[in-house]
Amino acid sequence: MPATQTNPLRVGLRQERVIAPQCLVIFGASGDLTHRKLIPALFELFRQRRLPSEFAVLGCARRPWSDDDFRNRMAEAMADDVKQHHSAWQQFAACLFYEPVDLQQNEDVVRLGTRLEALDRLKATRGNRTFYLSVSPAFYGSGCRALAAAGLLRDPARSRVVIEKPFGTDYSSAEQLNRVVQSCGQEQQIFRIDHYLGKETVQNILVLRFANTIFEPIWNRNYIANVQITAAETVGVEERAGYYETSGALRDMVQNHLTQMLALTTMEAPGRFDPEAIRNEKAKVLQAARLAHEDEPWRCCVRGQYGPGGTVQRPVAGYRQEPGVNPNSTTETYVAMKLFIDNWRWQGVPFYLRTGKRLPKRLSEVVLTFREAPVHLFDAAGGSPTANQLVLRIQPDEGAGFVFDVKAPGSGMRSRPVDMHFSYDESFGEPSDEGYVRLLADAMLGDPTLFTRSDEVEAAWRLYTPLLELMEDAPSQLPVHPYEAGTWGPSAADNLLADDGLMWRRP
Amino acid sequence: MAPQLTLQAPLELPPQEVPDYLNRLWSEGLKEEGGAATFTLVVWEPSWLQQQLIRTGRIDGPISGLLNEPLLQAAREAVGQLGLPASTAPTAPELAWALGQQPGHHSADDLRGQFVDRAISAHQPRRLITLAPTLAADRPLETLVAAYCPLSDERSGGGDACGDVVVLRGGMGALQQGLPMLQPLIAAELPCWVWWNGSLDESPELLEALAVGPRRLVLDSSLGTPRRCLDVLVERIAGGQAVNDLNWLRLRTWRESLAMVFDPPSRQSALQHVVQLDIDVEGQHPVKGLLLAAWIADRLGWHLQNSSWLEADTSTEGRGILAEFQRGDGQTVQFRLMPVPVGVSKTHPGALVGMRLICAPADRAPLCVILCSESGGCMRLEAGGVASMELAEEVVPLPNESEEMEMARLLGGGHDSTNPLLASAATLAAKLLPS
Repeated sequence: MPATQTNPLRVGLRQERVIAPQCLVIFGASGDLTHRKLIPALFELFRQRRLPSEFAVLGCARRPWSDDDFRNRMAEAMADDVKQHHSAWQQFAACLFYEPVDLQQNEDVVRLGTRLEALDRLKATRGNRTFYLSVSPAFYGSGCRALAAAGLLRDPARSRVVIEKPFGTDYSSAEQLNRVVQSCGQEQQIFRIDHYLGKETVQNILVLRFANTIFEPIWNRNYIANVQITAAETVGVEERAGYYETSGALRDMVQNHLTQMLALTTMEAPGRFDPEAIRNEKAKVLQAARLAHEDEPWRCCVRGQYGPGGTVQRPVAGYRQEPGVNPNSTTETYVAMKLFIDNWRWQGVPFYLRTGKRLPKRLSEVVLTFREAPVHLFDAAGGSPTANQLVLRIQPDEGAGFVFDVKAPGSGMRSRPVDMHFSYDESFGEPSDEGYVRLLADAMLGDPTLFTRSDEVEAAWRLYTPLLELMEDAPSQLPVHPYEAGTWGPSAADNLLADDGLMWRRP
Repeated sequence: MAPQLTLQAPLELPPQEVPDYLNRLWSEGLKEEGGAATFTLVVWEPSWLQQQLIRTGRIDGPISGLLNEPLLQAAREAVGQLGLPASTAPTAPELAWALGQQPGHHSADDLRGQFVDRAISAHQPRRLITLAPTLAADRPLETLVAAYCPLSDERSGGGDACGDVVVLRGGMGALQQGLPMLQPLIAAELPCWVWWNGSLDESPELLEALAVGPRRLVLDSSLGTPRRCLDVLVERIAGGQAVNDLNWLRLRTWRESLAMVFDPPSRQSALQHVVQLDIDVEGQHPVKGLLLAAWIADRLGWHLQNSSWLEADTSTEGRGILAEFQRGDGQTVQFRLMPVPVGVSKTHPGALVGMRLICAPADRAPLCVILCSESGGCMRLEAGGVASMELAEEVVPLPNESEEMEMARLLGGGHDSTNPLLASAATLAAKLLPS
C-alpha cells in the first residue's frame, strides 16, 4: 500500500501486543522465502521495536553454514535495507544464528535441541519457540514428527509450528497431514499460513461487517443478488513452473486465498472477537458451501490457460512456452466457478469466484451486488437501472466503494450511478504491514486468528473435491480453454455468468 | 484480574541465611524442577498511602501493595478531609505525607511481595524480590522466602518452571543494611528489572544502589517533585540505562488520538503550520503535560527558545508554564501549560485534562484540534475564538489498564534500551520545565 505522506506523530505509535521473549527457528533457512520474506519481515518488526530484546532467530537447513555465513547471506540479500538502516541491522544481525540441520536425521534434531537450550541461556528466550517450516510440503509431516520426537513440541504454551501453504493437495492428503501434525502437538500449536489473511484489507472485511450496524441487516439473501470474488494477476508463472505445473490455479489460489475471502465475507458474526469463535464461524460457512452443480461440476466451473499475447513491441509468452513448463501442459492458469452456500443467510445467492494469471490488471476484490429496487420510478440515464454494489478492494488501491443511484443533473428525473469511495491511502496515508510482518508477529504472539484451522482446511478441500476428481478422472469434461495473455480469461467464463443474465465486473 | 498469593506461606529466615538457603534449595530440593530462565524483578514497594490509610483506620488490611477501588475511594475522601486541593491525586505523595500527620494505630497483616498480580506471575519471574519499608522506621529487617512450582495438574505441558519470592521488610535503616544481600540474589545471566513503585523524591541512595546498569528501570515520573522526576529520567537515559516510565506509557491514548487526527494525508501538511499548543493538566504536576508537548515538538522538529512560569489566574490552580518554540521554517509556536482545578482527580498526579493545537496554513482556514479527557470537559480550550476555525475535536479514552498490567507488558516483551521517543521527549521536557 503506497504512502503518499507520512504522519510524523504516527511514528512508534502502533498499539501492538507484546511479543514474548522467544527463539524463532526457520527450517529451510537457505531458501528463497527466508531472505525474500521472513528475515525482511523480522527486520521490520525489529525496527518497529516490536521484537523483545530477548530474541533469537535460528536458521536451519542442510547447508554447512556458520552463524556468520547466515548473517552475511541475509545481509547480501537485503542489501538495500541493510544500507539504509545499517546500525539497526548490526543489532538485528546479532540475533541471527544458524545450525545445520536435516530434520530427517535424528542426531541433527537432538543437536538442534541442545543448540536451542544454549540459545535460551544466551538470549534468555525462556524456552519459547516458534518453528517455521519453510520447507518442501513433502516434509511437513516428517518435520513435525521429528520435532515432537525430540520433545520440542511438548509444551503447547511455549512451542508452536508454522506451516506454509500448500497444506495438502486434496481433501484426503490434507486430512492425512492434519492427522500427522495433530499427533505431534495440539491444534493450538499449529499455525497454517494463508498470507492473504495477513492483508489489512482482508482483515477489514471483518471490521467493516461487524463494527458497523448498517451492513449486517442487509448482508443476506434478501438484499444481495450475487457476489463476485476476483483475484487477478498480471504476471505469468515466473520462476515457479516446477511447483505450478503440479498445482494450477485451483490449488494455488482458489482453495486457500479465494476461499478465505469467501469465508470472511459470508460467515456469521462470532459471539466475541476470539480466535476460536471466528474460526468456528468460518469453518461452519465453508461446510455449508457447495459447487453450484456438485453432480455435474463441469457446468459450474471453467478452466483456462494463457496463450501468447502482448504487443509486437512487447510480446508475452504463452504458458506452454514458459521455461520449465511442459509444452503440452493442461495445467490451468485461470479458473472461474459458481458456488452456493446452503444456509439461512445465503440460500440461493450465487457466488462467482475467478482467478488467473496474465490478466489485464493486478487486483483482488469482493463485489456484493444488491437486488434491484422493486419498482423503477425513474428512467436511468444509462438505459437500465444500476444495482447497488459494494466493492471491497483488497489490492491495489485498497479501500471500499459503494455504487448507488442519484439524480442526474438536469430538468428531468433521471437516475445515474455514482461511486462513494473510501481509500486507505487517503484516510490513513500510512503503509500497512506486509502480510508476513503481521502473520509472523501473530504466530510469535500465539494468536491463531489469522491462521487456518484443520477443519477449515479440510472443508475448503472438500468443497472442491468434485472438481479435483473430475480433473483427475475425466479431464476432457473440464477442458482447459486457451485465452490470450492480457485478456480477462476465456469467453467460456463469461458464459458462466451470462447463463444467469449477469456479467463479470470489469474493474 | 485477581491477584494471586504465593502457594506456600513464606519462610522467615535470618537475612544472612537467605542466599545460602536459596542456593541449597535450587541445587538440592528443586534440582529436578529447574528454575525459570526468565528474569529477576526487584520491586521497591513502600505503599505509604495504603499503610497510612490502614493505620488511620480508613481502610482495612492487609497491606498488599496493590491499588484497588476501596483504597482509591478512601484516598479521595481523605483529600477533602485533610484540606488538600481537590485536584490532589490519590497517589500523590503529599496525601500520604498528610495522612502521616494524623493519629492512628490500626495495624494489618503485611503481605507485600506475596500478592503477585496474575499478569506478572504469568511471565514466571525467576525471582521476585520486594523491598517493603514499614512505617516504623526502627523496625528490624525481616526476610521472607517462598519458592513455588506449578502444581502438576496446572502444568501446561512440562515447560513450566519454578521461581521464588524474597521479601525484605523493615524500617528504612534496616532495609539499607540489608542491601548487600541483594546482589548475590540477582542472577547475572538473566535480565533484571527494577520497578521503583514509589516517589522518586525518597531514598535517592537506595535508588542508586538498586537501579544500577544494565538493570532495566521502571519508574513513574508522576510521583515526586517534577524537577526530580525529569532529572532522574534524563540522567538515567543519558547513562545508557533502559528506562521505562509508566507516566509516559499512560500518554499512549493521547498520542494515539492526536496522531489519528493527522492520519489523513490531506491534514498532514497542517502539522507544518502549528502556531499554538495549549495543554491543561490536573493540579500542580506538569510532567505528563510536558512530556506530551515535548513529544509533539520533537516529532515536528521544533526548537525550544525559552520557557518561563506563568502566574496563576482565577481559572487556574497554580502557576502555568509559558514557552516558545521555533519551527523549522523559523516561525514561532506558542506553548502554554496550565494547571486547572477538577472536582474529582484521576489516580495519578498531573493527569491531562485537555489539549489544543492550532495550525494556521497560509492557503486554507486555520485548523483547531482539541483533545479532551473522557472524564471531564475542556471548555477553557474550546473558548477563545476557535469557532471560526476548522475544528477537529476528539475525546481521549481513559487508560483502563492497571500498573501491574502495564508492568506485565514491559516484562513480557521488554527492551534493553530506552524507547527513543521517550528519550527525546524526556530530554526536551526537562528543558521545558522552568528552573
